[in-house]
Amino acid sequence: MHLFIEQLINGITLGSIYSLTALGLTLIFGVLDILNMAHGAVFMFGAFTAVLIVSKLGLPLWVGFLGGCIVSGLLGYALEMFALRPLRRRKNTSPLAPLISTIGVSIILENIARALFGSDTISFRTSISDINFKLGEIDINLINLVILAVSFTITILLYFWLKNSKSGRALRAVSENPDTAAFLGVNTSKVITFTVVSASCAGGAAGVLVAMAFNSVNNEIGLAMGLKGLAIIILGGMGSVNGAVAGGILLGLAETFVVAYGDSGYKEIIGFIIIMAVLLIKPQGIFGTTQKVKV
Amino acid sequence: MLSYLNSYYIQIGSFTLINIMLALGVYVPLSTGQLSLGGAGFMGLGAYLSAIAVTRFGLPIPFAIVIAGGVSTLAGILVGVPSLRLKGVYLAIATLGFGEVIRVIFIKWETITGGATGISAIPLISAGTVRFLTEQNIIDSSNKNVASDLTVFLILFLITGFFVWFFVALKNTRIWRANSAIRLDETASESIGINIHYYKVLAFSQSAFISAIAGALYAHTVSYISPSDFTYHRAVEALIFTVLGGSGHVLGAVFGATVLTIIPEALRFLKDYRYVAFGAILVIMMAFKPEGIITDNIFRKIRKK
Repeated sequence: MHLFIEQLINGITLGSIYSLTALGLTLIFGVLDILNMAHGAVFMFGAFTAVLIVSKLGLPLWVGFLGGCIVSGLLGYALEMFALRPLRRRKNTSPLAPLISTIGVSIILENIARALFGSDTISFRTSISDINFKLGEIDINLINLVILAVSFTITILLYFWLKNSKSGRALRAVSENPDTAAFLGVNTSKVITFTVVSASCAGGAAGVLVAMAFNSVNNEIGLAMGLKGLAIIILGGMGSVNGAVAGGILLGLAETFVVAYGDSGYKEIIGFIIIMAVLLIKPQGIFGTTQKVKV
Repeated sequence: MLSYLNSYYIQIGSFTLINIMLALGVYVPLSTGQLSLGGAGFMGLGAYLSAIAVTRFGLPIPFAIVIAGGVSTLAGILVGVPSLRLKGVYLAIATLGFGEVIRVIFIKWETITGGATGISAIPLISAGTVRFLTEQNIIDSSNKNVASDLTVFLILFLITGFFVWFFVALKNTRIWRANSAIRLDETASESIGINIHYYKVLAFSQSAFISAIAGALYAHTVSYISPSDFTYHRAVEALIFTVLGGSGHVLGAVFGATVLTIIPEALRFLKDYRYVAFGAILVIMMAFKPEGIITDNIFRKIRKK
């Protein structure tokens, strides 16, 4: 039984990071109606920045975490300025244009990362990496608790910010209908920039947490996480914040239990197997709503 | 004369032709408004089926390629029918998921697929021709490799040419008009009696067929395949070819695949940064010419002149 509970904790920890990553994707989809294919690469840069700050410069972990968030936020700003904003100037562009444009950015970032950080896995040991304690029969890693606390705090802050603050309401208004929001005095351009930057910050934070969870970072994690993020937002329903959180936790648990009780080779695709099953039954995802098409 | 031809250039030519087929595999469903990223999955299916049929069961290569195409088309129909309920990005991600699932099956089903190391020593499509030419003393060991590469290129050229011709010829048929109508407005098309399910599944299975044939030919061109040949990157590449070339026209896919296969080779002097330049080209193109290079308007202008 205690093994099961340990796996449960591992699964929720991993899931909380997935939720945070997917939140960034789902916010951008909500506001702009695009899949941000560069999210994984931004996530990876956050992880690498933190690792460099902590292991090369010897600064404390929280500085690395902030550094990772800031670098990812800046990349998000660059993404908005160079790859997304120029596309919005035209009317009636094909929905494929932003998709290709963000793929272009992800190719740029992945190759810069390869040139800057190399292709090897860099290990990431922090002062809290090896601290374990026992609660009855259950082994608990301190690092898991820290990750859980950080990712849930960010998620809850984001949630209440979206729900209650003025800028959060503006964001939801833009995602509901950009034209009406603009008409009612919302500065949509500012809201969009702000959304892309904060979504990227959240992605970068998730990157640092993944590096902490696995004690290492390499330039494959961006792509893997990008694909998982897509699976999660489909699972939860596109643009749904609750869906991203629930989908992330669900995927984290599914992956952990596949590794613990099944075949670890299927870890990377369990998310896709779940979404295929879910989409067959409910094509809008678990939390998604059907949009009625008016003729 | 054969020795003047450089193997490297012929091979780039062959890869270009395979990429054109993959780009067509994205273009056809897109002509009904469906974004499918399952190309890499079907390509892998075709490659593995044909390679296994030849290396394990000793089937003749042309026969194996046809079988690979047929089985993959059936798989395309099986995936296509339930996927019809999905729209836009949902379909894109579900088909991407299909590709990833297929790839993991290749890795896990080691007894048949060779696992992560894949299948090697797959006979080339040029094998028979080269044997014949050697027996007739037309070529000798000095120009055998170039002759082989050239034969591969010519076979690929004929098959690719057929596909391109097929879709150009389809342009003024009932099927193509139905596809365009569905792309522009599904509800309206349905209300005037177009069977949108039929045409969507048709486009989807055509895409599966072309991608699988491209995959089978790929296996018999490089003679070595592994699961890492059929990743997410392959599917995304095919999408980029089609969109940059111009997703509104068959020749857009052809143009995009040709130019974008050659550009990374031409950018080799940039070394590590050549893909950074490639990414920048994508971003700039989407900002200035998101409809792609080849559009119907270009042909109208040319005709006017």
